[in-house]
Amino acid sequence: MNLLRSWKVSLLAVLTIAVSLFIGGAFLLVSGNLSASVERWRGEMRVVIYLRPETADADLRRLAAEAARGPAVTSVEPVTAAAARKRFQEVFPSLSNLVAGWQDEPLPASLEIGLDPRATGAPGREAWLAGWRKRPEVTLVDDDREWLGQLETVVAVVRAVGLALVAGLLGAAIFTIASVIRLTAYLHHQETEVMRLVGATEFFIRGPFYVEGLLQGLIGGLVASGALYGVYQAVHARGQGSLFSTILTLGFLPLRQVAFLVLLGGAAGLFGAVASLRREAL
Amino acid sequence: MIQFFHVSKRYPGGQSALDDLTFDIARGQFVFLTGSSGAGKTTLLRMIFREEVPTAGQILVNGRNVSSIPRSKIPYLRRTIGVVFQDFRLIPRKTVFENVTYLPRVLGVDVQSQKKMAYQALRRVGLAHRLNAFPPELSGGEQQRVAIARALINDPEILIADEPTGNLDPDLSREILRLFLEVNLRGTTVILATHDRDTIQRVGRRVLTLDRGRLALDQELIGTDPPALDPLAGTEIETETEMETEAPAGYEPPEEGPA
Repeated sequence: MNLLRSWKVSLLAVLTIAVSLFIGGAFLLVSGNLSASVERWRGEMRVVIYLRPETADADLRRLAAEAARGPAVTSVEPVTAAAARKRFQEVFPSLSNLVAGWQDEPLPASLEIGLDPRATGAPGREAWLAGWRKRPEVTLVDDDREWLGQLETVVAVVRAVGLALVAGLLGAAIFTIASVIRLTAYLHHQETEVMRLVGATEFFIRGPFYVEGLLQGLIGGLVASGALYGVYQAVHARGQGSLFSTILTLGFLPLRQVAFLVLLGGAAGLFGAVASLRREAL
Repeated sequence: MIQFFHVSKRYPGGQSALDDLTFDIARGQFVFLTGSSGAGKTTLLRMIFREEVPTAGQILVNGRNVSSIPRSKIPYLRRTIGVVFQDFRLIPRKTVFENVTYLPRVLGVDVQSQKKMAYQALRRVGLAHRLNAFPPELSGGEQQRVAIARALINDPEILIADEPTGNLDPDLSREILRLFLEVNLRGTTVILATHDRDTIQRVGRRVLTLDRGRLALDQELIGTDPPALDPLAGTEIETETEMETEAPAGYEPPEEGPA
């Protein structure tokens, strides 16, 4: 009933907790989708060994057979210089002139090696790749794991920043709810005095304030989840085709994480109420 | 029923409110507590319902030492004691019904029974027709009668009143006093603090006089002009017929939470 009676202060408390949980939820969503992208790319992880332009097709096949015996190698596709040029022209038709009309093939031959994603740390793999880097036929060894590792660091940073931000904002939200509850308790001090006088238990007197804090938190959590879903849908609809938005809108938060956000709001509200009345004479 | 054994109360600053009080009040007695301002009347009353704790001595209410009962049990003690104050302590934004039914709500009584209890308590004080009024709409005397109805709603064993007529004119004071005497006629122990010596002389009864925290006098007075009391006047004898008494037709109390 207090929620309705003093709706302005209650709204302030609900909004504070909603903003905190919205930001927390946004970080959860971004880091979750980035993690999912990393996992997907990890499944497609490969090593590309670029060879010298003068490598003959027979050498290419020999090297491919040799590469197939490497640790955790699932597939080896030898790509000739001509095949590389053709693929470039197919993938980037507007740039096809760049690689046309050369006396020699402009792109190097390569070995595209698929790796088992479950065996990223297979023994001897680093030494095996180092061996390829030293070979005279090889110009460059491009390992996907390097940039995936960098991306994983970015995800971890996003998570850590989000966690710190949410902790700070939740603290502020708890403080706001505690202040609102304390104010409400002060406004009702005459009534609580009468209740205590006629024999009401402390739980009977404080219970409604606890319920009020809990409700404010739960409503804040629901508002945050709803707003987050709205923003997610808007970004998803507007950002079709953009790599960035595609990565960020791979999927919305799973139901259990939405429930976690709402319950976190409720817990923050209840904690604020309990903390505010702990030493309060009421 | 109420026993004080060498009770003293000293505040942290060293100021003494009560000093070595020993007396007892039997069940069903009507006792005036008098003394000048600051004599310790309010402190003594507050100790009975454990709003204050003595620094020395023991207070027994119904055989229980009230200063040693755990905090969680205090509400159960207070449910057996009705308290009325000089300033009424009514909640202005609550109706008379809501003000009167705090204790039934605390006890978890259903709304229909609350209505019956409120109606009967308000009939005892002659205010059954003001169930829906708000305290600011009532006169001082009516407000005090609502406060008395609140104190009587659960038929307490003890009724404590701290200067209940202090804010009222002489006619209203007499009316309120008559109510207390009639409540006492039904067997409730009444302790009424007042510094109005004229009223005490006129009504008579047992008088405890405090002076700077000490019990200066414990006497039984014969009243010079006691009010004529009808044991049945203004009271509700709980016969079958009257227990079925309903609140006025169409009356719907607001179902509002306590806070």
